[in-house]
Amino acid sequence: MPYEETMTSKERVMNALAGLPVDRTPVSNPTNVATVELMDMVDAPFPDSCRDPELNAQLAATGYTELGYDSIQPYFTIIQESSALGCEMQWEQKDNWPTVRMSNPIWKSESDVKIPSNFLEHRDMVSVTGAIEILKKQFGDEVAIIGKSMGPWTLAYHVFGVETFLLMTIDDPAMTIRILDKLKEATYLFANAQIAAGADAVCIPDHATGDLVSGEYYKRFLQDIHTEMADEIAAPLILHICGRTLDRMPYIAQTGMASFHFDSRNDPQEAMDAVDGGIGLVGNINNPETLYSRGPEQVREEVYACLEAGVQMIAPECAIPLQTKLQNLLAIPDAVKDWSAERL
Amino acid sequence: MPIVHEGLAKEFEYVTQEDERSMILEQIEAGDALMQQMAYSLITGDHNAVNELTQKALGEGREANDVLDEGLISGMAVVGVKFRDNIIFVPEVLIAARAMKAGMAHIDPILSASGVEPIGTAVFGTVKGDLHDIGKNLCIMMMRGAGFVVHDLGVDTKPDEFIEAADENGADLVMMSALLTTTMPNMGRTIAEFEDMGLRDEYKFMTGGAPVTQEFADDMGADGYGDNAISCVDKAKELIAVIRASG
Repeated sequence: MPYEETMTSKERVMNALAGLPVDRTPVSNPTNVATVELMDMVDAPFPDSCRDPELNAQLAATGYTELGYDSIQPYFTIIQESSALGCEMQWEQKDNWPTVRMSNPIWKSESDVKIPSNFLEHRDMVSVTGAIEILKKQFGDEVAIIGKSMGPWTLAYHVFGVETFLLMTIDDPAMTIRILDKLKEATYLFANAQIAAGADAVCIPDHATGDLVSGEYYKRFLQDIHTEMADEIAAPLILHICGRTLDRMPYIAQTGMASFHFDSRNDPQEAMDAVDGGIGLVGNINNPETLYSRGPEQVREEVYACLEAGVQMIAPECAIPLQTKLQNLLAIPDAVKDWSAERL
Repeated sequence: MPIVHEGLAKEFEYVTQEDERSMILEQIEAGDALMQQMAYSLITGDHNAVNELTQKALGEGREANDVLDEGLISGMAVVGVKFRDNIIFVPEVLIAARAMKAGMAHIDPILSASGVEPIGTAVFGTVKGDLHDIGKNLCIMMMRGAGFVVHDLGVDTKPDEFIEAADENGADLVMMSALLTTTMPNMGRTIAEFEDMGLRDEYKFMTGGAPVTQEFADDMGADGYGDNAISCVDKAKELIAVIRASG
């Protein structure tokens, strides 16, 4: 028997973020699901769709209109703020992600850290806030629009270079904390601008990843900042950190953020146990192997594992490879609906 | 000489696998107290001390190869084990690498001038679209320390750049790194381009990087995978042995 959906996508996502009941588990995309196929479908290729509000909105909308996900994410990359801060960019072509040339960092020391007064007016910021305004008008009542604002740790990688920044954390931890405190202002500015434009929630990627630093590092350098963000930013926040993060999930669960977007290298049940109800989870369908290289059956298995564990929103683990097959992305909501129907 | 340096003895306790213990201990015990001090300084990331101790060791007439193996490589081996076992993370590895580099600045010129035959030759780059290089740089440092000639192709390396570099340098190994799940598939595309050019069997291909797994490496058609800098060197040596055995 097909089950009946009684909520709009937006209600479903917002309820899940608030820890309230849902008619079925929502499918989301806190980091984004842009692919070359979707770009072709709506004629909104990279990099133009990262830099133009209308193209951006066209491509972002496909997450809802073509894939049937319950949220729309109009910020595809992790580099919009860094471009506005003056980083050297590599915009690439349709089939590659734009990136920051971190080998040519723009800043060297604490005194260099300054957020430009016209930060929010930069075209790569307006491409996101403008897209949110468009999407809000088109889909505002139906679907949750999730903004994205990079956390200070990620911004520090871009402006100082990853290696330089990580060495700084050991050579001068006090200065590192002061720099993160300054950089978080960029996170606030962009998050608040997106909320003002109509974002219902904001994803905060802050790549203190398990591949690079310890859980203890997260506690020492970021937990307080993320806690403050949860207090100060007036929308539900979804923290995103890649890699193995079980060791820092108990700290993340104390920040007051609404949800944590977690990577497939963490078992869903172990992740649920680690956060112990302190924060919702969203994730964690594997990108490079399952979504990129496998088929819908393998996608279904991972979706079911997340649902059985009680993960509150189902999503790819991170931004997906641009050549990911649509059938695998479509298999996520299909599997969620089947699982829900089977439990009627 | 048995381990007499108290700090090094404590660090060595992190090495728990029997085969690794005996291998690293053999390197440490081949050296003297000065080498143990150097290994400990490297593990704790004291680059100034490593710089001074290396100069002192060479100044006292020790062979550059001995200083490399007993003072630097033995220390880096402990660092590698601690990193693999999640006792330390990248920042701690980076300070150790910085210390290793301080020592290598004195050793490299001597080894280069000595004309010793390398174990093998590799070209090593981060794949197209990916600008991350910490993991690649650590692997290159360890491989060079182990006696490989490694040509660093940098980041954002396109398939044709791998092909050209492998040919120009007479490489045995083509080594690819990626940090992003979005760029990992470019490893497979690079191998496919070698295939398209009829060059697949001329080289052995290795992949690695934080999100890369053995399963993914197999999917991409790679011959080898290293999940950290130490296993990268071990796998590279294995593949070289296969190449040499097949003539």
